[in-house]
Amino acid sequence: MTDDAGNLSIDFLAGFTIFLIAFIYIATLIPGLFIGLQSRTVDYDAVAYRTGVILVEDPGMPYNPAWETLADSHKGDMLRFGLAVSKDSPNILSSQKVDRFFCRTWSYPDDYRSRVIFGDYPYLFNISFQQAGSNLTRSIGDNPPDEYGYIRRVVKVKGNSNASIDDSKIRAYMFNSSDNVTTDVFSIHLNFTNLLGDEPDPAYQINPYNDQIMVNISGMNVSVVNKSLGAEAQHTTLEAIQICRSKPISTNPHPPVVCFANFTSPIVDNKQVDLPYPIEDNLSLIIPPGFITTDLADANTQLYFNLTFNHYDTDNVTLFPENGYLNNTGSGPFEYTYDPKNITLPKLQDGVLEVSVW
Amino acid sequence: MVNEHGQLYTIEGVAAALIMLFSAYLVLGATSVYTPGDTHISDMQLEQLGTDALRMMNTPVNGSSSTSPLQDILYYNGVQGQFDGTGFNTLFLNYVNNQTGSKIDNAPNGLHYNATVSYYNIANKTTGTLPLSTNRNLTGGEHPVRVTEWVIVNKTFPGGGGTDFKPRAVLVEVLLWRD
Repeated sequence: MTDDAGNLSIDFLAGFTIFLIAFIYIATLIPGLFIGLQSRTVDYDAVAYRTGVILVEDPGMPYNPAWETLADSHKGDMLRFGLAVSKDSPNILSSQKVDRFFCRTWSYPDDYRSRVIFGDYPYLFNISFQQAGSNLTRSIGDNPPDEYGYIRRVVKVKGNSNASIDDSKIRAYMFNSSDNVTTDVFSIHLNFTNLLGDEPDPAYQINPYNDQIMVNISGMNVSVVNKSLGAEAQHTTLEAIQICRSKPISTNPHPPVVCFANFTSPIVDNKQVDLPYPIEDNLSLIIPPGFITTDLADANTQLYFNLTFNHYDTDNVTLFPENGYLNNTGSGPFEYTYDPKNITLPKLQDGVLEVSVW
Repeated sequence: MVNEHGQLYTIEGVAAALIMLFSAYLVLGATSVYTPGDTHISDMQLEQLGTDALRMMNTPVNGSSSTSPLQDILYYNGVQGQFDGTGFNTLFLNYVNNQTGSKIDNAPNGLHYNATVSYYNIANKTTGTLPLSTNRNLTGGEHPVRVTEWVIVNKTFPGGGGTDFKPRAVLVEVLLWRD
């Protein structure tokens, strides 16, 4: 007689197989199932916070030369965007970095994602910035959806220093020649020891490496002698800008000043020009951030920019001697220092930065 | 002899198992639980905002300024025990309500605060607290975050000290909350 004890039925086998398959399938789904238990914005908020910290408290990488001074062709060298003036001055942003960050040469989102958002997940984002007293909001990215991570940071933006030399200052400092000369030279002195050492706080420091240096001169020929007698040149050109320096070393604390290069395409009157450049009564010269590198001048260097002006007769060819034009050969160079009588110091302006991530 | 004891009724069993699994999947997948741990996010955002605001208030506008706006508010012409509460209210609300793309409005975010100044009472060797400013009184039902900033003030505080105009370090403490 056949005994059925201990046999499994087909039904049981079928049921148990289905159960096992379902169990294995569900087990593999468990990590995905619990994603729903996590608040959706947790990760987005964390990424927004991290992005805000990178932007507001970090100067970016590379730092020297600063990433914002690199050309678009060197995008690969820019590793991280950070807008802070330095790591020691959180919430104080550099206006140059802000301008570079929001410039249109970057493509959204790829260029920004790899340098400021980070992470493997392809986050989308919007970063906006507004300075106090301005109605202009600068932003990158799309409009956020209904749910997104968010952080708002209150900041200050470090402005640029500038020197304003008008005709009264020219006469007070005797920045005009007393001789009849066809060529005048005006020298601007950047004392790196003074600029970097006298103000250690990067929030207020004039840093010639990363900050813009601006000199505005007006009334350059106001003090020209005997204008009414026809002693004023009809044409004056900014002929050249020589770069000279004196680099003290321990064995020679006062080495001579040596001119070693020319500033061939300076920014004059807010545009890049080639020299010689015709000058009227005023001149605005900008030495852009990043132009002065540590190779050009170290922390002990005395750096000079010597502006050479040529005067010409009506034919614009014949040199014409003039007396009383801007010239500080005899009185000594103009000192670009922290003296408020000489320059307007960098000022901090309020601003707000918002980061949305989704 | 074959009997049906201990056997599953296949179709019903499989159907029930699938329904249970599908239900569990739907329930777990569709629920978005606001866990207690998530509350720290809004707290963090508010705390960061308040900390930034106090830090910026305690930053001089340029290198030639010897004092920050917050130091001027606390100094208040050297009047002992009093501060420029109105000035603090205006400046602090400007900072915390400032947003991109909009003008500053003093109550778009429903932010409220209560600010005090804590100092060391040299005579009693205790810590004293003075009111600085508030735009709403705490009733006890709020969930505020606490932000602080150490400020150097050249002023006399109760309990002596500072009479020779040696600067004092005092703690500005702000409780900040939303409606």
